[in-house]
Amino acid sequence: MSDDGTPALPETLPDGTLLQKPVDRRGALGLLAAGVVAGVAAASACRPLNASTPEERELKVLEWQEFTQKHYRRMTESERAETVRRIERLAELRHHEEVTIATTDAQPGVLFGYAFNISKCQGYRNCVEACINENNLDRASDTQYIRIFEMEDGVVNLEDADPTYQHEAPAEGHFYMGTQCFQCANPPCVPVCPVGATWQEPDGIVVIDYNWCVGCRACMAACPYWARRFNWAAPEVPADEVNPVQHYLGNRGRKKGCVEKCTFCIHRTRKGLLPACAEACPTGARVFGNLLDPDSEIRWVLANKQIFRLKEELATEPRFWYFSD
Amino acid sequence: MNHAWRRPAAVALVLGVFLGACREGHQVRWDQLPPGTVVIAVDSATSVRNAALEPGALTTVAADTVIGWSGPGGRPFEVAHRTGGPEAGHSRQFGTIALPIVLRVGTPALTQYPCTSCHAGSTVTMAPRRQADVHQDIQPVHPDTTGGVCASCHAREDAQLLVLAGGKRAPLDQSYRLCAQCHFQQVEAWAGGGHGKRLDGWQGRRVVMACTDCHDPHRPAAQPRIPFRAPELEKVRSTSP
Repeated sequence: MSDDGTPALPETLPDGTLLQKPVDRRGALGLLAAGVVAGVAAASACRPLNASTPEERELKVLEWQEFTQKHYRRMTESERAETVRRIERLAELRHHEEVTIATTDAQPGVLFGYAFNISKCQGYRNCVEACINENNLDRASDTQYIRIFEMEDGVVNLEDADPTYQHEAPAEGHFYMGTQCFQCANPPCVPVCPVGATWQEPDGIVVIDYNWCVGCRACMAACPYWARRFNWAAPEVPADEVNPVQHYLGNRGRKKGCVEKCTFCIHRTRKGLLPACAEACPTGARVFGNLLDPDSEIRWVLANKQIFRLKEELATEPRFWYFSD
Repeated sequence: MNHAWRRPAAVALVLGVFLGACREGHQVRWDQLPPGTVVIAVDSATSVRNAALEPGALTTVAADTVIGWSGPGGRPFEVAHRTGGPEAGHSRQFGTIALPIVLRVGTPALTQYPCTSCHAGSTVTMAPRRQADVHQDIQPVHPDTTGGVCASCHAREDAQLLVLAGGKRAPLDQSYRLCAQCHFQQVEAWAGGGHGKRLDGWQGRRVVMACTDCHDPHRPAAQPRIPFRAPELEKVRSTSP
């Protein structure tokens, strides 16, 4: 373990040189790939191959570089900057979208927690609407991170609950309970990943490097809350509905074949804002804050209200509590 | 995913060694963008603020310090002003959409406490109960069920002033002082953070909405409405008044 409590990654050892430049294995592969593309590009300058315009050639180069990029946690600051600029440029070339991708790190002394008031939620699903728009969720498959369960009064039984109700809410004799990724302190989804593409950040948010994810979906099988979603196809978001304020570990464009999930709106919360769901909720049922701040609203709720967590017996330790008035 | 790497390895090696250094010299125009540039669709003051927001920098939210209650740890906190508009008046930007934060629905004609738009400069003698020919938009469910009348909460001399127990007056922005006289449990939770809505940030300045931002004081309970993602019902909603 390193000083800040995160698992230390092995140093990347230089294991070879290429043109007298120290490179590691992956870097060498990247250079080779770039070389191939540059070669193809050079050739096609005289005889158009399958990349005839400068934009197409640039796209191919960037796609190669994207394919061979490092794991996010192994990138240096400059490599992160280069990576996000490449992804921003790719979004422009592929979809004509102007986006800005942040790599903001966790704030020191911050551990995020969430509380959901089952007495207050009226089932309006404004949170779902805000989440879809804020996080650029796939419109084609109607991906949603949040599910609002309609439950009969007095019973907490998700098997009989209806997350797709199609009538006016609140319905008589029912209450509403929302689920999303709980950012568990003991996340079962993380150790099962065969490639280390998902991990927990110091502020408690479980994130995914979409570029590193191989799409095996072991994490989805491991999650007892069905918090993760799989991209069976590349997500489709109309160009004029894309949220351009993005984070590398959050709402940036996903690719086909990778897993995604709620990140407590990492692009907002690391700047001090509330997650979109909490801010959009008209009933005040959603409380969000820093668990390490004893004077935060979330700590007041945990200290003063009746609280419970979902499937507590699994020892996943969700950082998402339910409470009632 | 690009599978073109399956091209012959020999070509890769030769061209890779020969042209590998091209990667370093590759220039594209996103290099011209200053670092940290934030691109955001600007169609509300909120999105501008969100783009530049740093912890504790909620400068554009007009709010007053709460009188009589303090937040967790004895910290003072602020209650936001109503910002106008047909609903409670708070709207926020999510991606490319702006969503109003409304619990109360209705009173579309009421904006920013317009009593003075009709009653300015003249003395209005308020009837003890709502008269059938004025203020049709006010459905006095809450005062009726509690045995209250108009003057239980509104000052007779000026309907824009609230009457507290003991005869003190308070402006409408301080509705929490009036509501707390009966709903002390709710106000305690509101001050602590378990009831009501905090605006914008979890960090820094704590600005919450006032009681009447969400609750219609004359009809305080949340009313059933058509939820988001109810496609069949939404069709009905779009054609109904």
